[in-house]
Amino acid sequence: MKRLSLMALVLILSLTAVFAGGQKEPSAADGELSGEITFWHSFTQGKRMEAIQDAANEFMAMHPGVKINIETMAWGDFNTKWNAGLTTGDLPDMSTAQNTGEVAEMLNVEVLRPADGVIDAIGRERFAENALADMTQDGNVYGIPYYSHAQVMWYREDLLANAGLDVPQTWDEFRDAAIALTKDGIYGAAVSFSPNDLLGTRYLNYYVRSAGESLLNDDLTANLTSDAAIEGIKFWVDIYKNCSPAETINYTVNDHATLYYQGITAFDFNSGFMIDGVRANRPDILDTVSCAPLPKINESDPYYSAEATQIPIVIWENSKHPEICEAFIEYLFQEDNYVDFLSAVPVGMLPAISGISDLEAYKSNPTVQQFAEEEKIIAEAVAAGRAIGFEHGPSAQAGLLANQGVIEEMFQDIIMNNTPVEEAAAAAEAELNEIFETMVM
Amino acid sequence: MISLRKGRTSIQGSSLTRWIFVAPAMLVVICLLIYPLLSTALYSFTNKTMIRKSFSFVGFENYIRILTDPDFWTSFGHSLVWTIFSVIGQVIIGFIGALCLNRIKSPAARSIFRIAAIIPWAFPSIATAMTWKWLFNGIYGFVPEMLQKFGLTDGLIQFFSDPSLVLPALIFINIWFGAPLILVNVYAALQTIPQDQYEAAQIDGASSLQSFRHITLPHIRTVVGLLVVLRTVWVFNNFDLIYMITGGGPAGASSTMPIYIYDTGWTGRLVGRASAASILLLLFLVILCVLYFKVISKWEKEDVK
Repeated sequence: MKRLSLMALVLILSLTAVFAGGQKEPSAADGELSGEITFWHSFTQGKRMEAIQDAANEFMAMHPGVKINIETMAWGDFNTKWNAGLTTGDLPDMSTAQNTGEVAEMLNVEVLRPADGVIDAIGRERFAENALADMTQDGNVYGIPYYSHAQVMWYREDLLANAGLDVPQTWDEFRDAAIALTKDGIYGAAVSFSPNDLLGTRYLNYYVRSAGESLLNDDLTANLTSDAAIEGIKFWVDIYKNCSPAETINYTVNDHATLYYQGITAFDFNSGFMIDGVRANRPDILDTVSCAPLPKINESDPYYSAEATQIPIVIWENSKHPEICEAFIEYLFQEDNYVDFLSAVPVGMLPAISGISDLEAYKSNPTVQQFAEEEKIIAEAVAAGRAIGFEHGPSAQAGLLANQGVIEEMFQDIIMNNTPVEEAAAAAEAELNEIFETMVM
Repeated sequence: MISLRKGRTSIQGSSLTRWIFVAPAMLVVICLLIYPLLSTALYSFTNKTMIRKSFSFVGFENYIRILTDPDFWTSFGHSLVWTIFSVIGQVIIGFIGALCLNRIKSPAARSIFRIAAIIPWAFPSIATAMTWKWLFNGIYGFVPEMLQKFGLTDGLIQFFSDPSLVLPALIFINIWFGAPLILVNVYAALQTIPQDQYEAAQIDGASSLQSFRHITLPHIRTVVGLLVVLRTVWVFNNFDLIYMITGGGPAGASSTMPIYIYDTGWTGRLVGRASAASILLLLFLVILCVLYFKVISKWEKEDVK
């Protein structure tokens, strides 16, 4: 009888263990990860895509129970994709975000999971304080900065030298130089205003920031009608009319940057991605491209950085396997993997953590060596800058400011329909404020 | 009694069988037509946005906002111009092409020309958009450069940044893209016309124009009518070509109704308002189709007589 009871007990315990095991999420039972995750990213260029895929393959080989499904999408489609996912439920476990402004938008709709665990695992002190602050809400950090870049002014040394011009320090000098270089099939600078991209907002932000102002007021309403904003709008309309190809009025970031890559424009404003673009399109002019800090209003004005971008990785609230996401992110930041990824676009993607740029593997990259001075200028702009509209801290309004196309439509309206600047600016400001009221929770 | 019950069971059984056969089709219709239509209609009366989970009913507010929005009427006007000129151009070019193809006697040459003619239709719209975007580019495009070299224009003509040229340029591309479909279908219809009717007309001394008017046209007008209905709906709803080439710009100069709805719903994330615009678009197209079909059914009745 005792034997029978013992057997029954063993059987019950065994069954309990089996059923308990069956109900549990199939992950990390004994420290070994198990499960399937989906990772969305917008690194569509070959080398970056390959670096991520290679890291995922290696991670899956190390953890046979893990499957990482990678879905890539164009940078411009990313916002639309997750917005649609809010309704359809088609959301990933982890993803990149376009910038910290987008993270603020995601936080506005409460779809993210705190990432403090993985940040601590990588080393919180290794990240720039302002980068983490831009993605912090109620004491939790919701995004892990993956790489950084910042907006600087790119120019062609040969064209400036041939025209006997110095690198512009102020906006007035920039305008004069751009007009002087607009000849013989070269345009001084392209100014693009497609409502499907943020270039109009970005350009206006440069000017407004150089005046010490912001495109958002302290109460997070839009500011397009201050003196500096009106001056900025007039300035870029003037540049468009005098030294930009007419075609660019409807250009997006890629079409726009391609003009500089191909040697069609003398100046452009962008990050270190320019180097890779020029190398791919016009290697013969690569040695003549260089960058400088953004122009100021007056030469004596203090240094400023108008826009620094942290490209974050986020973990989504709906993820069933946040532990896999965290482990994979930690793996992406391991020195070898991280340097491999950054070297896909050297100087274009700057390390978001300390201790990487000193590594021999990083420093020995020929592009890093050739453009060391440019990297220094961009790194300085990264350290001093924040995302568009983040001067008042992270807010959903800052994200909406840049991705609604309202400022770009305003520029098009002024140029195409000759709408007075003040009238168009007031209308765009009112439209943005209405969007903020509707969208911000 | 027993036989009656058997009969009823049999009737019930066959009724069930009918339902089983029809069910998949009904399911498809419900999922792909009824549900989207009803949900769009429902959302059009709400303030639903893409990023807020909750929403409330706002009555006809979305419809009032849409109908009082000047951008809506501008886009609607562009849609009419885009559709009317695209369809007319496609029908004329396709029709002429089909008549020419029908005159070719050699089967091998006819086959080659038929394949060549259908090539634009076989292109994915992304390839079409990118190719024409490059050809018409105002900085280094082939067409503006050629026009300038031949002295036809002073500078590089700006097809996509000049508000007065952008819509005509897009219509031209759409005609190039859509004419082959008309060509192939009209050509197929031409093949069904009995040759003895032409021979009889020739014996009676009918001119080519008279043969065309009294034999060719009556035979193919129903096909052309149906093609016009289809193309009208497709062209009116066309989104990808315009979006990929101009995105509706500059300054809304090429914004059509689908672009307006996309901008409202996706960029602006105002699902309720975009739904209202979609319902208005649907109503317009339904009315248009009813009118078209009335004309076609009149033709069909005349053909029977």
